[in-house]
Amino acid sequence: MNIFSLAGLILFFTSLVLVIVIFRFGKTYLHRIWAFFNISVLIWGIGCYFIGRSSIPQEALTWWRISQIGVIFIAVFLYHVIYLICNIKSKRILFFVYLQGIIFLLFSFTRFFYPGVRFVFLSFYYALPGPAYHFFTIIWMSIVFYSHYLLFLEFKRSKSRKKNQILYFFFGSIVGFSGGITNFLVGYGIDVYPFGNFSIPLYCIIVSYAIIRYRLLDISLVVTRTSIFIVIYSLILGVPFIIANYLRPYFIGLFGDNWWLVPMGVLTILATVGPFIYIYIERKAENRLLRDQRRYQDTLRRASSGMIRIRNLRKLLNLIVHIITRTVRIQFAAIFLLDPDNAQYAMSARRDTDILPRQFIFKADSPLVRHLYYTKEAVVYEELQLKVQDNPRNKELIKVEQQLKEINADVAVPSFVGNKLLGFLVLGKKLSGKLYSQDDLNVFSVLANQAALAVENAQFYEDIKETQEQLFQAEKMATVGTMADGLSHQINNRFQALSLISGDSLDVLKTTDVSNCSEEVKETFKQLKYAFERIQTNVSQGGEIVRGLLKYSRPGERGFENIDFNKVVYGALEMAQYKVRLHELDIKRQIPADLPEIKCNLTQLEEVFFNLIDNAYDATRERKEVLKEENYKGKIVISAAPREDNLRITFEDNGIGIKDKDKNKLFTPFFTTKASSRKGTGLGLYVIQKIIGFHEGTISIDSVYGKGTKFEITLPLAHKK
Amino acid sequence: MPKLLIVDDEMDVREFAKNFFQRRKIEVAVSSSGEEALEMLVKEKPDLVLLDVRLGGMDGIEVLSKMREMQDNTQVIMVTGVNEKETSDKAKELGVVDYIHKPLKLDELEEVVLKRLLKTNNKKAG
Repeated sequence: MNIFSLAGLILFFTSLVLVIVIFRFGKTYLHRIWAFFNISVLIWGIGCYFIGRSSIPQEALTWWRISQIGVIFIAVFLYHVIYLICNIKSKRILFFVYLQGIIFLLFSFTRFFYPGVRFVFLSFYYALPGPAYHFFTIIWMSIVFYSHYLLFLEFKRSKSRKKNQILYFFFGSIVGFSGGITNFLVGYGIDVYPFGNFSIPLYCIIVSYAIIRYRLLDISLVVTRTSIFIVIYSLILGVPFIIANYLRPYFIGLFGDNWWLVPMGVLTILATVGPFIYIYIERKAENRLLRDQRRYQDTLRRASSGMIRIRNLRKLLNLIVHIITRTVRIQFAAIFLLDPDNAQYAMSARRDTDILPRQFIFKADSPLVRHLYYTKEAVVYEELQLKVQDNPRNKELIKVEQQLKEINADVAVPSFVGNKLLGFLVLGKKLSGKLYSQDDLNVFSVLANQAALAVENAQFYEDIKETQEQLFQAEKMATVGTMADGLSHQINNRFQALSLISGDSLDVLKTTDVSNCSEEVKETFKQLKYAFERIQTNVSQGGEIVRGLLKYSRPGERGFENIDFNKVVYGALEMAQYKVRLHELDIKRQIPADLPEIKCNLTQLEEVFFNLIDNAYDATRERKEVLKEENYKGKIVISAAPREDNLRITFEDNGIGIKDKDKNKLFTPFFTTKASSRKGTGLGLYVIQKIIGFHEGTISIDSVYGKGTKFEITLPLAHKK
Repeated sequence: MPKLLIVDDEMDVREFAKNFFQRRKIEVAVSSSGEEALEMLVKEKPDLVLLDVRLGGMDGIEVLSKMREMQDNTQVIMVTGVNEKETSDKAKELGVVDYIHKPLKLDELEEVVLKRLLKTNNKKAG
């Protein structure tokens, strides 16, 4: 097989693969026309293969005529593709191109086109041009040049991405057509070996890439890679070929019949080493090319690793945005952060002119957010526009495009922590007008995810600080609790002394005989007696309060006893009367007198119900203040009834109730919705749950905001049935 | 005249309780600590002791047990704080005749202490 055939075969297979790929991945009309282009190339390729292998002129001539079909339609479809890319309005030229294609097709099988063949390069038959052929050549060239001219015009008026795409076309054309032209030369008697068919596959691959992919590599990269590839593989294949062809006699002299081992050996060595040389040279070349780009990518990378140490959230977000706009030189940058309470993404940092509307908000179910969440990668506005064009029926994509347009964004980069979309980064256009390359987007994605970690860290730190403050407060309260014991004893002693002194003084007054004294003295004694009686009463009350406090703060008995539930309620109410104004509430008890006993720790259960009463009181107070209903009176209903082996207790109030969004945080420690003036430690429900659990009971809560709250508690009975 | 020994570390308690009982024709001796109380027991030989549990140094229970060691069978009324079950059990063991809870109420003093004093005195006399 000669080289011409080989080239044709390679061309055939490459085009075949491309056709399959295009039909598989291509969706639009443009893609289909491009597929037809490649089918034409395919025909030319396989034709060349058989031409090269033809042993008789007639055979070769037939194959020339067949492959000519491919050539004719290469120009036709090329024009059609470019007609689509440049959005040309007038169909006249298109019509003409197809017309000439059909005409020449009809002519190609006549002798006006190819009258015969001649033997060239001592290996195969080449077609001789007839009069129609000359005509054909002129028109074919014209179409190709005109197409490229149109492409050039489109280049000048295009935006960045399309510009890049057109550059691909031009580069591919340089590679492909310059090779393909060599085919024409031989036809006109200029006997240069038509290596051209080797470069045509490259052209097809390059342009297919440009047409199918939405996100293209920077053209300079492609040029570099292709050039290096051509050079290296020419060497790999060429050197052994040269050795085999021109140094053959020399090696036959040296090695005799096994001379071919030398070129074979050289080929093997080169083929093995080739890829490594390719990679090495390519990397060096790219580093130099992308030096500038790499520089700012490095800056970004270093910045992102330093981010994680910043704990102040606001500072962190502003820093991220600042770094990006400074390093990459873009119009603006903004960060949208998740606000979990309101299920939306709010603008949390920005750096720009006034391009962005103030206080923009994305709801969690908005198209852009959903898109970022599901694709998990950056979205580029220009690419999205193309996708919308290609999929006009996809409403979702259209909405995403609109949203991006609203905020003048060029790119949106999502920021994930695990599966959670913590936020996203929005970027405007680069000041240089250049595209965002894949490299750029990679760096931004890394930055965004690092940022997500740093943001989570900062948020966590802020939460910790808050929790710490609450912890300190709770600890203070606990300390007061421990002091209460010693303190109340001291206070008790004072009351004791007061009681005794005032009692004794009263005694003195009572036992003194004033019957012989003046009215004034009698009156004085009466007043003094009254005063001391009042002192006694007050002292007595003071003592009761202290006693109540002492009882509450004592660690209490650890053990469980069999207790009548009524006692628990009574004890809780007794404690509660010192904290809340019980008389403001209607307290109803629906507890039968002959209730079976429960096994419990009295002190702990008293605390449970004390907390419930306290919370209920606050809830009724809040309802009064917020809803301002006439004739509203707070009410608490406590009922208990035995059920199987448990005592079922309900504690119901008609207070403000609990909002849905707070319901799942209720039993969390330190969670409180109480207004700051009466703020508790936030530990009440948490402790209640723990105590009920300790008693092997259950607690559940039912609440409607604005109506009230109901707790259902079950506790095991002392004597099971 | 019946004699009462009041043992309490609070000055006001000693003074005013003393006034109260003296007005009712009771002889009163006072002591502010456990050690002093034991000395007074021997010196004054009271008919009844009003003994506070909480004293500086030796506490009420200790005084009681020392008394029992010394074979002193003088009647003791214990003055305890709130619900000190442990202490009251111990005191019971050591043979107190009654308890009063703090804060001291004058009518309680009258009811419990005075009554017992007069009973004891009658016993002594009769």
